[in-house]
Amino acid sequence: MKASSKRSLLKAAFSAMLLGFIGFAAPGYVSSPPAAATDAKEPSANKTAPVLDPRDPGSVIYLDHAGKPAGVGDPSRPPSLAYKKGRGWHPEALTASDLPKDKFGLIDWAKSVRQNRIAPKPSLDPDEAADEMPPLKMDVLIPAKSDYVNDVIYPHEMHTYWLKCEVCHPKIFIPQKGANNITMVGIANGKWCGRCHNRIAFPLADCNRCHVSPKKASESAKSAAK
Amino acid sequence: MAGWNVFVLIAALSMPTLAGAAIGDIRLDDKIHSMEKAGVGPVVFPHGRHEKLYRCVDCHPGIFKDRRGANDISMKSNMNRKFCGSPNCHNSRKAFPLYMCAKCHTNVRAD
Ligand code: HEC
Ligand code: HEC
Ligand code: HEC
Repeated sequence: MKASSKRSLLKAAFSAMLLGFIGFAAPGYVSSPPAAATDAKEPSANKTAPVLDPRDPGSVIYLDHAGKPAGVGDPSRPPSLAYKKGRGWHPEALTASDLPKDKFGLIDWAKSVRQNRIAPKPSLDPDEAADEMPPLKMDVLIPAKSDYVNDVIYPHEMHTYWLKCEVCHPKIFIPQKGANNITMVGIANGKWCGRCHNRIAFPLADCNRCHVSPKKASESAKSAAK
Repeated sequence: MAGWNVFVLIAALSMPTLAGAAIGDIRLDDKIHSMEKAGVGPVVFPHGRHEKLYRCVDCHPGIFKDRRGANDISMKSNMNRKFCGSPNCHNSRKAFPLYMCAKCHTNVRAD
């Protein structure tokens, strides 16, 4: 269970890597003009020149061809396997791409999916890729405990595009509407939605991406009267 | 000397916070009923700390009317870039973000 959820989480990171890789492998360092990246293709296997500078501590994680972490961009450690293969993912390289951005200038992955700008592989393992399920179209309303903020609509569709059910069920969320005592304090402390948002998914400061559903008129009238 | 006194008076009238010196903490709890449901306590707004960083006109009257209880502050309006969440304040890189509940709310339920 643990391993599989880790793997699925990595899927998001890895798709990101693939994308950065395909888009930026050829032109070289991040500082090269992004325009040159458009017709880039995979570097040949024997290409050893560094694609991105692994000594840059801004590099977050490198994955090898099997999608396993192959090293981090830590200057005090030896060059990673991925670096030796001339592969790397660098968040700045992605930022330089022309994928849609959110208000913080971070890549809006959800929008990238909706606009069909990316098509990550479900898995590197062909067998596993074959039993990939289509996203689950189910929104769950999570009413906010506070009277003054909009309720939250949790969209299964965008999540199951990236993630397997077991990533969240049953360890993070009991799969039953209202069965989880979710709180914003907990989320901000890295629980519930905060397991991913602020980390691998859009930041919590983007309140209104989750708090989308205004309280029903009757309810807000009630709370106004209080 | 009279002229000087008038000057002081005008200065005092036009800059009430400076003249009154350090306003101190302001307790914001008119929505306590809702806060209780959400598991947080009243907000204590450190006026003094903000006075050190900003001029009165940075906030008054554009963002907050300078009268206690005159501003209908809510978490929703903060989220919509009003009051504490104004674009240069707790909705920007200049100050801690809005989801750090315990920075403003007292008695934040542990979880
Ligand atoms: C990733 C989604 C997400 C984001 C982003 C988000 N929230 Fe929430 N928020 C939730 C969920 C889920 C709840 C829980 C609903 C409930 O049970 O009250 C919640 C609840 C709340 C509550 C009600 C109190 C409580 O603890 O339940 C407040 C107030 C709140 N959020 C404020 C904010 C503010 C302010 C921001 C932006 C800084 C924000 N939220 C961003 C998902 C989110
Ligand atoms: C990113 C996390 C996440 C993933 C992945 C996920 N879910 Fe959920 N699921 C939730 C949340 C959050 C809820 C709402 C729980 C609540 O209301 O307290 C939920 C609720 C449910 C519910 C209960 C709905 C109801 O109305 O009672 C079902 C059934 C469910 N999920 C099935 C699935 C299935 C099947 C998959 C995979 C295809 C899946 N979920 C993937 C987070 C997730
Ligand atoms: C297991 C990780 C994970 C958890 C837990 C999780 N999310 Fe997400 N969420 C993601 C990923 C990945 C995306 C897509 C990438 C992005 O938009 O940043 C996403 C996207 C979203 C979107 C954007 C959809 C769009 O179309 O723009 C919303 C809204 C959202 N999540 C709400 C929630 C809420 C509410 C919760 C908690 C109830 C939650 N998420 C829990 C990983 C997670």
